[in-house]
Amino acid sequence: MRHPSFHHLMTFTFSALVGFGFVMNSPLARAQEPGISATEITVGAIGALTGPLAFIGTPGRDGLTLAFNEINERGGVCGRKIRLQYEHASSPAESIAAVKKLVEQDKIFVLILASGSTGAAAAADYVREVGVPTYNLYGSTPIIRKPFSKNVYHGAIVPVEVASLGLISMFYDGGNAPKKFGVLAGTYAFPQATLKAVEEALKVKNINYIVEQFDQTARDYTSQLVSFSRQQVDAVLFLGSFSEAGFAIKQSRELGMSQIRWVLDGSAVSRAIIPIIGDANGIRGYFNTPAFPGQTEAVREFESRLKTLLGSMPQGRPNNYDIIGYGSAYVVALAAKSTGCQLTRAKLLDAWSNLKNAGPTQLGGLDITFPESFTPADHQGNYRLGAAIVKNGVWEVYRVLEKP
Amino acid sequence: MLAELGNILIAGIKFGAIYALAALGLVVIHKATKTVNFAHGAFAMLGAFGSFLIVVHWQGPYWLAYLLVPILIGIIAALIEFLILRPLRRADMFTVVIATVFLGIALGEAFRLIYNTELLAVPGMFVGAPFVVSRVFVTKETLWVIAGALVTALACVMLFHHGKIGRGMRAMASNVRGAQLCGYSVDRVYMFAWFLGGALAGLTGVFVAPITGVSVELSIAVITAGFVAGVIGGFDSLRGAILGGLLLGVVESLAAAYVSSAMKNCVSFILLFFVLMWRPEGLFPERVARRV
Repeated sequence: MRHPSFHHLMTFTFSALVGFGFVMNSPLARAQEPGISATEITVGAIGALTGPLAFIGTPGRDGLTLAFNEINERGGVCGRKIRLQYEHASSPAESIAAVKKLVEQDKIFVLILASGSTGAAAAADYVREVGVPTYNLYGSTPIIRKPFSKNVYHGAIVPVEVASLGLISMFYDGGNAPKKFGVLAGTYAFPQATLKAVEEALKVKNINYIVEQFDQTARDYTSQLVSFSRQQVDAVLFLGSFSEAGFAIKQSRELGMSQIRWVLDGSAVSRAIIPIIGDANGIRGYFNTPAFPGQTEAVREFESRLKTLLGSMPQGRPNNYDIIGYGSAYVVALAAKSTGCQLTRAKLLDAWSNLKNAGPTQLGGLDITFPESFTPADHQGNYRLGAAIVKNGVWEVYRVLEKP
Repeated sequence: MLAELGNILIAGIKFGAIYALAALGLVVIHKATKTVNFAHGAFAMLGAFGSFLIVVHWQGPYWLAYLLVPILIGIIAALIEFLILRPLRRADMFTVVIATVFLGIALGEAFRLIYNTELLAVPGMFVGAPFVVSRVFVTKETLWVIAGALVTALACVMLFHHGKIGRGMRAMASNVRGAQLCGYSVDRVYMFAWFLGGALAGLTGVFVAPITGVSVELSIAVITAGFVAGVIGGFDSLRGAILGGLLLGVVESLAAAYVSSAMKNCVSFILLFFVLMWRPEGLFPERVARRV
């Protein structure tokens, strides 16, 4: 057998290196960045489309779809259309499986967690490990927020410590001075996360309170309300969904407890609560955007566009998840654009960490969300909340709760 | 203290009356056909949805919902018996039970695909201030639910025990071959049992819609409560289903109020466990008289 000479070996090595360099610098090689092709940017998202958490995931999908459609109609970002790949995931197991599929099989560029706290908590370790740029839309759980991770960003939903202070402050609006607080909290993930922060805040403020709890989708609150009545509670903070809050408030009226001031967690602030209660005037809660649906021209226009997309508007929608989904899609697009069209994940993380006042208006969208700003050390884009109240049977934001 | 107990008991009886109605539908089908219908909760959910369509969507009167919905759900149940369960009649019991389980899931998921929302709210039939007696509050809606559900349940018991078709169902439950020899048609009796069970589920849905709203979770809540109430009362006893439902509602309310609010769901299964251990035939079983 003839051995290759040194000259042949050098020629082969040089040719191989030149060839490798050529391939690596070609447009074909640049297109190998996950989720980026010559014509498309693939954004993956997870959220529940069926099941008890579908009231979060379905509006999330629809708000994102509406915004990405608008952006694509205006030419997309960096000459590429944004393609949303949305996977249904409700339970923790489904969430982690869906995230892995999107990252490993579908090779997405950015991951959006539109799943609430349950899915966000399940995916937290994995997204930190693989480093995929991740945007947590609705998860308030500290599991996705702590420890800080350079590839995870949080949008309109504020940390529970901020939300709890905002909620407590609403009891004192209009010169009200509650004597005894009651907290009515669901036993599942997100109410429990908020409950912990609320209890800490109440203890710091030296406020006298009692806690009663209920299971998810509970419809009978007699025992909890009787306990509040026994302890002469005159202010109740509700941590749970709108359907649970609606039936709790309805039953409190039936038990003659009409003097209670109710303040609801953001998840319960929905149009759909009003037909359950009937006369809902005076009920307060926070909303994650500056205006409630119907309150401003921009939100009315959003509702009209969403209705066109969906064909008909389901009861209780648009809700805050529709609006946040819409605003968040624009933040993702702005982050991609801010890379100077160098669409790599590393460049995206740099650009995202320096976004200032990002929102739909910067790309021609509707001004319906709080603008988001990030720094390399703080990935929470928004700290503001809208304090909302039901007046004449309609929710409206009456003041903005700034970062405490 | 007494007023507090009164409020808790009234809430317990209200939910108990609905549990009783749900359990009765299950027991009627089981008694006549020896099939446990796990799609019963889905029928109740469809009933609640029918109520939403008539009262909210089409702005119709409530009495129309009470009149039409049970008949429609009864017809749907009878059709399901005809199309799905009749071909399975010769199959073993396990196959039939599995068929009803997945039928219930399919109905729930179909509803969710069509109406993808967390909850559809249905207003109460009555509005206005509650009656107050010694600081015990009773709304008109509560009175209507308790009275309506219990009167319907009692009427159903009367029909089963004294009506001609009831005699057929009882005969079939006792001895299928003997009933056939006496001239009763298995097909007709089974179909009517499913119609009656479905109608009771539909009526449960109409009663429960303003109290819980309409959601897929309603089907699970109804089948769970109905099944537990049925077993507690004695699964072959109509009277037991009613008493079991009332007992379950009251025990749940008392436990939630005086033990822990987190105990509400848990206590029903603890109660079920103790009844199965102590009296597996149920607390109020049907008395069987035999000539010797």
